[in-house]
Amino acid sequence: MNKSYYTCLFGGEAGYGVMSAGSIIAKGANRSGLWSFVVNEYPSLIQGGLNSCLVRLSDKPITAYEETIDFLGLFSQQAFDCYADKLNPGAIVLYDATTTKIDATKVPEGTLLCPVALASSIPKGGAKIMINSAMLGAFAAFTGYPKQILIDVMKTEFHNEKIQQENIQILDEVYHLVMETLSSSKTFPFPFEPKAEPKMLINGNEAISIAAIKAGCKFSAGYPMTPGSSVLSYLADHGAEYGLVFKQAEDEIAAINMLIGASFAGTRAIGSTSGGGFALMVEALGFAAQAEIPLVMVNAQRGGPSTGLPTRTAQADLNFVVHASQGEFPRIVLAPGDIEECFYETFRIFNLADTYQVPCIILTDKFLADSSVSQLPFATESLTIERGKLFEAKEQPYLRYENTPDGISARAIPGQVGGRHIATSYTHGEDGFYSSGNKEYALNEPMVTVNSMDKLYNKLPAMEKEIPAIKFYGPPNADLTIIAWGSTKGAILEAMELAASQNISVNFLQILYISPFPITATELVLQQAKKTLLIEGNKTAQLGSILRANTGHKTDYTFLKYNSRAFLPSEILAKIKEVLF
Amino acid sequence: MAAHDINLPYVPTWCAGCGDYGIFMALKKAMTSLNLDLEQTVLATGIGCSSKIGQYMNTYRIETLHGRSLPVATGVKLANHNLTVIAEGGDGDGMGLGMGHFVHTARRNIDITYFIHNNQIYGLTKGQSSPTSDLGAVTKFTPAPLGNVEHPINIVKMALNVGATFVARAFVGNSTQLVSLMEQAISHPGFAVIDILQPCVSFNHTNTYQWYQQRVKPIEEMEGYDPADLEKALTFAGLWGEQIPIGLYYQTLRPTFQDSLPQLSHQPLAKQKIDNIDITNLMQKLY
Repeated sequence: MNKSYYTCLFGGEAGYGVMSAGSIIAKGANRSGLWSFVVNEYPSLIQGGLNSCLVRLSDKPITAYEETIDFLGLFSQQAFDCYADKLNPGAIVLYDATTTKIDATKVPEGTLLCPVALASSIPKGGAKIMINSAMLGAFAAFTGYPKQILIDVMKTEFHNEKIQQENIQILDEVYHLVMETLSSSKTFPFPFEPKAEPKMLINGNEAISIAAIKAGCKFSAGYPMTPGSSVLSYLADHGAEYGLVFKQAEDEIAAINMLIGASFAGTRAIGSTSGGGFALMVEALGFAAQAEIPLVMVNAQRGGPSTGLPTRTAQADLNFVVHASQGEFPRIVLAPGDIEECFYETFRIFNLADTYQVPCIILTDKFLADSSVSQLPFATESLTIERGKLFEAKEQPYLRYENTPDGISARAIPGQVGGRHIATSYTHGEDGFYSSGNKEYALNEPMVTVNSMDKLYNKLPAMEKEIPAIKFYGPPNADLTIIAWGSTKGAILEAMELAASQNISVNFLQILYISPFPITATELVLQQAKKTLLIEGNKTAQLGSILRANTGHKTDYTFLKYNSRAFLPSEILAKIKEVLF
Repeated sequence: MAAHDINLPYVPTWCAGCGDYGIFMALKKAMTSLNLDLEQTVLATGIGCSSKIGQYMNTYRIETLHGRSLPVATGVKLANHNLTVIAEGGDGDGMGLGMGHFVHTARRNIDITYFIHNNQIYGLTKGQSSPTSDLGAVTKFTPAPLGNVEHPINIVKMALNVGATFVARAFVGNSTQLVSLMEQAISHPGFAVIDILQPCVSFNHTNTYQWYQQRVKPIEEMEGYDPADLEKALTFAGLWGEQIPIGLYYQTLRPTFQDSLPQLSHQPLAKQKIDNIDITNLMQKLY
């Protein structure tokens, strides 16, 4: 069987450019007809610790990763200790003998141990981070990855001409140094196409941010929290040229209230955080719901509870976001599973927020938010903006919360003539007034309360009809139906391919929108399912409980992973086999 | 615009004699004399008796959560900086849950006007201590014999220290001055704060109309008064007891937050066209 993937892993302390080395290789591959998947792992530390960047390359699209390494580039001892047992037979281990001691008994037989003087190739006074250019030079020499492709990427990555030239020179020198001593051990399995159509190297947070800009979002506010922050920094960095204002707030509570204020005033707005920040925002989430102000929030999950694991992945906030807030109200919870869904569904959710005037939560996780993937440019021609029912001056008298059959009333934006109203966090009648503020309303309080609650929930049928909430993959009559949500999607799809190649028949129900729960669509799939397997990145099978509550279905098997790392296709395949045989 | 244009057909539910009526009347007068366009005005309130003022004023209003009027007002102002944005709430709302937001809104000098109805007590929850309650104040949560053992927050001092560019204290019993200060505050380009002393007739039996009347004194009659001098203003702000200065403590001009944003130099965010935004450039940067 031809080898279908090539995996490089670079590991070392923060400050060596571990991640930039990986991204240069991935970008070079993306420009040359190959596909890449880049996974960064890093502790919550500014200096030291073990950072790693895994680059998986292939000549076909990649949706997941495995920690089976063909090239291991070491910047520290710890990196060797951590990854020595993950090497494939025939793998290359590149290291600097002055900093890293290799214990040959710890690597698989046939591993090529290649010491290179990386540190001493840096000119006197040069920055530590330049060692990654030395590493890249040696990488090209040992693997046969074209040196010129790396240099071309560096030319666009380093904007400072002097730094660019210095790094290219180091790369070149080390490349030649290695080539002089090398017999021949080119291991890189894929041909490069220099004239191929370039692909983006993009992670989930970038896809969400670009979608927000495309959707006309002009305001963002937030408080930094890994792994949600990079949406905010992307918008701070790139938003201004699109007329977007990003405001760093004093805390998450201020941030979400600013978003609500901006949205009330007619501007599309987005916030991004992780579970802990979202917890602080919950009170205002209910406010947006009660006042029917559109709101788009990203929760990029990390380990919990509490501060948990700041830089690691988890899928354990699902029950929390689906139920967050006192009282009850409909909301939209989207769980994108890949980069395309991060982009297209984020664009859609801005339209949904405006159309239904409800809070919308995009639930991702560190793995999806932070892992970079090859992606062809998004097709944007058919994306259209829908602002929902907007007040027009001729309608009088104007009732902001008019009880319409579909529960949706026309929004007036401050500044509009004839649209003056009160938007309020209190339970209110059609004009926004409430019982404890008005003696007239107090008489009818029970009726006003029922009408107000019914109005919120009258939106559900239209929402359920409009939102394409599930996706289905694989043959309809498979022996096993996998049910999952969010970033597990990629590993499941790859596991299904592996299964199919071994004549194991599996299909996959992806729950894309978890609230409102797609009951009818899910039940249709469940009726056909022979056996069901639930896969989730949490301890308590949270989607499983939501599924059971909404459909009565208890999955036959569950596969739960909560060790702070993402699912691998190989372990899903093993679980499939365990369940079926 | 006439004062009655601001009225709505609802009778306020404040207690008879409540200071909120005086603030309500003064605000209507100030808005009328400034001839504010009611369609272009947003009133953001918090939660509490004071914040009910939004229920009775016929502008655009957003009645937020307890303590959250200022971040909501900030969002409104940034979304459409052509709007006149006024925030209102009580001492509990603004100095309790809202304190962090108050500090940061002041230091960023965004063009919002903030009226604090300060009655030194929690009214709507029926008589607990507030961040501005006097030492020794006996309330439901700080019972006799000790009463309140925490130092009260002096709103004027606080506002001066954290960078508000217009700081005043007013007494609701001096309506003429209150209206004038409100007009100046709304007209001020930057974050303007008025600490409005206001009796709670139901739960604060110490700081009554009479109590204030005996103590308040126009600040401009005090020796060395200079509203351009921050140090002087801080000295006057320290007076709380036999004499309580009321009037404009301090006013200065520095660039507002929204003026420092190039994105707002052409048109408000809310007025930008959002159809067919071209993101090709953003995608190409990722090649």
